[in-house]
Amino acid sequence: MTGTVFDIGYQHYTGPREGRGRSRRAVFTDGIRTALGLGRGGRAKILPWLFIGVLSAIALVMALVAGAANSFAGPGSAEKMNLPSHSDYNGIASIIMFVFAAVVGPELLCPDRRQGVIHLYRVRPFTGTDYIAARWAAFLAVTTLAVWLPQVILFLGLSMGDPAPMEYLRTHWLDIPKFLVAGIAMAAYAATLGLLTASFTTRRAYASVFLVGLFVISVPFTVGVAEETGGKLGEWISMFNLTNIPVHVNDIIFGEVSEVTEDAPARNLPPWVRVAWYFAWTIIPGTVLWARYRRLAP
Amino acid sequence: MRPTPATLVAVERLTKRYRSIVALDDVTLSITDGITGLLGENGAGKSTLIKILLGLVRPTSGSATVLGESAFENVHVRGRIGYMPEHDCLPGAVSAAEFLTHMAEVSGLPPSAARTRAADTLRHAGLFEERYRAIGGYSTGMKQRVKLCQSLVHDPSFVFLDEPTAGLDPSGREEMLDLIRKTHREFGISVLFSSHLMADVERTCDRIVVLQGGHLVHAGDVAQFTKETETVFIEVDSNREALAAALERRGVRVTADGAGMTIQGPDESVYDHVRDALVESGAALRRMAPRRRELTELFEREVA
Repeated sequence: MTGTVFDIGYQHYTGPREGRGRSRRAVFTDGIRTALGLGRGGRAKILPWLFIGVLSAIALVMALVAGAANSFAGPGSAEKMNLPSHSDYNGIASIIMFVFAAVVGPELLCPDRRQGVIHLYRVRPFTGTDYIAARWAAFLAVTTLAVWLPQVILFLGLSMGDPAPMEYLRTHWLDIPKFLVAGIAMAAYAATLGLLTASFTTRRAYASVFLVGLFVISVPFTVGVAEETGGKLGEWISMFNLTNIPVHVNDIIFGEVSEVTEDAPARNLPPWVRVAWYFAWTIIPGTVLWARYRRLAP
Repeated sequence: MRPTPATLVAVERLTKRYRSIVALDDVTLSITDGITGLLGENGAGKSTLIKILLGLVRPTSGSATVLGESAFENVHVRGRIGYMPEHDCLPGAVSAAEFLTHMAEVSGLPPSAARTRAADTLRHAGLFEERYRAIGGYSTGMKQRVKLCQSLVHDPSFVFLDEPTAGLDPSGREEMLDLIRKTHREFGISVLFSSHLMADVERTCDRIVVLQGGHLVHAGDVAQFTKETETVFIEVDSNREALAAALERRGVRVTADGAGMTIQGPDESVYDHVRDALVESGAALRRMAPRRRELTELFEREVA
């Protein structure tokens, strides 16, 4: 069978042009693909999936330990032994979550400016606000995945490891909305700070090192000074422990103090103060990020 | 100035000031269908004009519309405009096909149409076989073609090309100029081609706009410019000075030009004067030919 290939020349596009909505969705989808290394080489996939793997492994280990306790020490032993569970997970994994945000977040902003792709976005039919909102939403989606997936693994592990899985589901189903809301809070905080740091440099490494350094330094500094100072001032100094800010919200959502925050003086402050503090640390950096990209300048 | 259907770009009394610096001063011009060259030295106001037309900068006064709309006030019009920047603007890690598909979607095309348009555009630019390779591994010429492709992938009506031949070797430059000609003549997309390479503009453009120090110093057809500057080049083996004197006595302006001289007369009677002057001076004629001036000379004359 033979065929003939005809060159029909240049064809004008006569289909729909979907405007800003399509532009935003395209940048959002590209942001998710970039953050997870999809459609890129193997090296681009290593870090995001390594972090997601480690975060999930922590949840898996917690589920296995609880299952083992129930098997060897009898049903309900895990709870009696007060083994770490959903309320503790975000506190335990928070530092890894922040390192994830510090390492992966800059991938969404720095290369666009460093490689000049931002010049092409500037002349597309959308605004700087559309661009940064789509990028932020994409990174929020990825960080939420990184927080929720381990919690889902933990929940499935705990329910399957329990001698009476249906009974476990009936008594613990409320953990699901709690860890979903707490996860969103953690993800929004980490994603916003990760992108804000990235917005100040074109080099990913600088942004990553700065943010990791900020989180790491804030822990011993605030803990030490807060202990020495004591009292109300100590409680407020403790609020500057950047890794604990979303964990306090996690504690309020679950109604119990997690292992990470049980020694933090800030836990004594009223819940509304800790929630307001969390929103301040998310909304203000978000506003600064928006202001930096509003004009979509390189 | 209200744009007529053929007017793609309309600029009226456009002024842009950056504090004390006047980048554009009371510029009025219109650009119609075709390939238009935008010429000017560094700081002439070319980039500012393009930025205003793309809606990236707000003018201090006056108006600038593309396809009948201000891109600053209405970003939707950018869906029908293309832009190829001079500087690097390509991601190294993704393939040309994926990058162009993404850019088409960001311009508002649905995903399936974006994929088709990306493949078609790469085929027209001669990159179809290489479309799944990461852009980082492309040669400079291929990268320039990807840059052109991203400006065309959403099928704009008008495209701005900023120094599209910058950094290319002679063969790459030829290919790029062919593509630019093809962009208008085969694809039907009008082009504003900013360059400082007069030869590229002369060979590619139908019209030129010359800016100098923020002022519009000339706008019109390229053919008309080169016709207006027709001169005759003469090279003689001997008695060159005597020939020049004989020509000047007949009212013919003579300019030394390397080993020969160029002359410019009021009309075709200049050839009669050359004949008589050659006889009078006894100069041995080696070569005589009409010469069309290049845009370079015109540009130098205008900006002077």
